[in-house]
Amino acid sequence: MIESLARHPRLERLLARVLDQGTWLASGIIGAGWLLAAAGWRSVVLIDSGIALFLLLPVVRVVVMLVVFVRERDYRFGIIAAVVLSIIALGAFLGAHIA
Amino acid sequence: MDVGFSAWLFAIAVATSALGGSLGMASGIFIVPVLVTFGGVGIRTAVAASIVSVIACSCGSAAAFLRAGLTNIRVAIVLETATTLGALTGVFVGGFLPPSFLFLLFALILLLSAQQMLARRRESPGVMTREEVDSSDWATVLRLHSSYPDEALGRDVPYRVHRVPLGLGLMYGAGLISALLGIGSGVLKIPAMDTALRLPIKVSSATSNFMIGVTAAASGVAYFALGEINPDVAGPVAIGSVIGSLLGARFLMAMSGDRLRLFFVAVLIALAVQMSLEAFGIRLGGHAS
Repeated sequence: MIESLARHPRLERLLARVLDQGTWLASGIIGAGWLLAAAGWRSVVLIDSGIALFLLLPVVRVVVMLVVFVRERDYRFGIIAAVVLSIIALGAFLGAHIA
Repeated sequence: MDVGFSAWLFAIAVATSALGGSLGMASGIFIVPVLVTFGGVGIRTAVAASIVSVIACSCGSAAAFLRAGLTNIRVAIVLETATTLGALTGVFVGGFLPPSFLFLLFALILLLSAQQMLARRRESPGVMTREEVDSSDWATVLRLHSSYPDEALGRDVPYRVHRVPLGLGLMYGAGLISALLGIGSGVLKIPAMDTALRLPIKVSSATSNFMIGVTAAASGVAYFALGEINPDVAGPVAIGSVIGSLLGARFLMAMSGDRLRLFFVAVLIALAVQMSLEAFGIRLGGHAS
């Protein structure tokens, strides 16, 4: 009757790949920054961009969901994903404003 | 930057994330108290660093749950509207709260986690039954009902999702606590998903894990914009967490669930005592900041 309604096998695999590869990339960047620092050449930019990448990874994941939902003409869920993104953007805006 | 201190942060992150990961918890609940009481790190810095590690943990293990087909991504995105809003509230309210309040709140959450771990999680009767089909409830309208592959039964088990508005309310609270304390706040998410939405335990764990990343990203981005993320602390903690959570997720998949519970309960209570002492300015171990 209600079989597998909420399953999105293709999207789920895509998201898994995004999260996996992003995690490795961000870890790699921070690790590189860290090794350089240990070798005496301190690079805050490198570590900061690795951290920023980690912060953006879930955001990218929501963007991917947004795109796929809209492509599947699931506009209601497209809007829900857009709301989540707007809330995150609001946090960044408020933070930068206060800082 | 002190290389020795980085190495210490890294080691702590690996250990706590493996511990947390084996229980399906984010590591923040262990990392923040350890950084504060033994590392002499300020609570706001520890919370902001922990948020990065919460994302790192969640992204690493969420992929495995997604591949296993356990995550309900529709439920996740719906609830994320509430968790991210709660997270923003937490970041901006947290700046006005005295550290002693945060310590006490942390101690309370640790005790709640300990209690939750003692009480065995029971499978809720969310598995689909024919009678209670209400075609006008939120979950039906949003097409949240789904199924998950059960290895023991060797087939897909369908389930229904219940009481979405209540779940949203609880998730707002979970997001708030997550941002205030730098934890994944599984302690609030899991009961919300088990008892309000009545998801099967495996789906609940996987979906909660999936949502933790976005919730933490909402507060993490705000902390980053505020300039409160210290790369010297957050960097080593983040990589350590990725490695630790990969190890921990293996245990979760392999273990039936409640084997190490008593040990964790003891750890959680010890940390709760530490955080309470900290609230009153009493420091047992480590060096002062």
